[in-house]
Amino acid sequence: MMRSDRFSMTRREAFKAGLAAAVACGGLFGGARLALADDALAEVKKRGVLTTATEMQFPPFDISDNGTYKGLDRDLIDAVAKEMGVKASYLDLPWTSVLPGLEAKKFDLCIAPVTITKERMKRYAFTVPIADATAALMKRANDASITKPDDIAGKTVGGQKGTSQVEQLKAFAAKLPKPVEVKEYVDNNQSYADLAAGRIDASVNSLPNLAYAAQQRPDTFSVVLPPFGQPTYFSWVGRLDDKSLIDAVNAAILKVEADGTMAEMQKRWFGQSMDLPKTVPEPAI
Amino acid sequence: MQPQVILRSFGYLTQAAGVTIAVSFAGIAIGFFIGALICAARVSRRGWVARLGAAYVSVFRGVPLLVQLLFIYYFLAEFGLDVPAVVAAVGGLALSSAAYQAEILRGAVNAVPRGQAEAAAALGFANLDVWRRVLLPQALRISVPPLINEFILLLKASSLVSVVGIAELTRVSMNIASMTYRPLEAYVGGGLFYLAINLTLAGFGALAERRLMPNGAP
Repeated sequence: MMRSDRFSMTRREAFKAGLAAAVACGGLFGGARLALADDALAEVKKRGVLTTATEMQFPPFDISDNGTYKGLDRDLIDAVAKEMGVKASYLDLPWTSVLPGLEAKKFDLCIAPVTITKERMKRYAFTVPIADATAALMKRANDASITKPDDIAGKTVGGQKGTSQVEQLKAFAAKLPKPVEVKEYVDNNQSYADLAAGRIDASVNSLPNLAYAAQQRPDTFSVVLPPFGQPTYFSWVGRLDDKSLIDAVNAAILKVEADGTMAEMQKRWFGQSMDLPKTVPEPAI
Repeated sequence: MQPQVILRSFGYLTQAAGVTIAVSFAGIAIGFFIGALICAARVSRRGWVARLGAAYVSVFRGVPLLVQLLFIYYFLAEFGLDVPAVVAAVGGLALSSAAYQAEILRGAVNAVPRGQAEAAAALGFANLDVWRRVLLPQALRISVPPLINEFILLLKASSLVSVVGIAELTRVSMNIASMTYRPLEAYVGGGLFYLAINLTLAGFGALAERRLMPNGAP
């Protein structure tokens, strides 16, 4: 394209324009503050707020019910924060942003249920377990061809990408006589939607999630029992450096378990109560 | 299909649509301001100023908006710069849109026939007046359709700001899908909101085009 040479800006005008652009860019970061490398627990207590994040699309743990945060995680973190004498604040992030956000110190604690695995233990500090995470399968309620986990041989199974349940599925499928096609989705809802639409034959997830989904749409979904995976657990995670904070959260979770509040929450969200290990278990996967 | 799922979530969707509109319009407005400056830089006679403008456009048009948002929100934090989520969202949209808007404006300025500026100069108009009275009014009219196009694209691209934790329309539709296990209804609801917003935007664009016609001719 041709450029008008005679009628372009003078140097002074252009300089002013550049200056204004620089100021505008600077203004964007005006609210910036330097991250503090202080003691994590002392910092939270001083602030009076425990900032947490999760993806509010993981019923029955995390639900955004018309904008109100609900679920087992919400009830539990409120109880834990009360024990610690602080208030909890919650951030809704896509799952792929949750762990990067934790590392970037955007919040103190990830209260999305994270399955304890060997690989993750190297990078994150896990709390004591908050729920059972054993991988299980869900099928269409009218599909009679699947009655036990082994029946997925030769079929297609979907799950959420990057979850330990999908990894467990792949390990389980490798031992079956016929290959299993594994479809990985951005989140579990697409896997459930494809299951309902008949594009896949089963969805993999943790047993509490599937039990809740099947309970919400009983004429569409049903859970395949027993769970096929190795016994695994969900925990919350924090940064490895924030040991004082994780210790305080652990003490609060154990207190909530001991006084029976946890069992009430489990009945409310899972339909039954369950015993959990009192320490961070050695991961089986 | 159960339309009552959409009706039950209507308030939630409306609220999210408000967030989408607010974030997008802030991004568009700031982006227009920066874009005008970048455009001015690009048509500058000074080589280094023009190159600086071109470099801006290359970077912010060449890197996906999602990556820019992740960079501003998460990676700047690694260098001790903690950008709040709303600032990251609006800033990311503005910086990215500025690159496109700069090119739209530059195209419009170049599309005004050269003779117009020469004639104005021959009539004794000062350099600034040539811009103010002759070039800009015509360029603005030419730029309206592509600008509206860009605004609509940006409004839809604003769904990406959910990666920094902003509960905008697409994100909320996903939340509803996961809460109700009814993805079809949730996304149809969200889609209808987008359609309504964009039709309104297109309507304003048509109105602006008519108003900017010479002598207000229809």
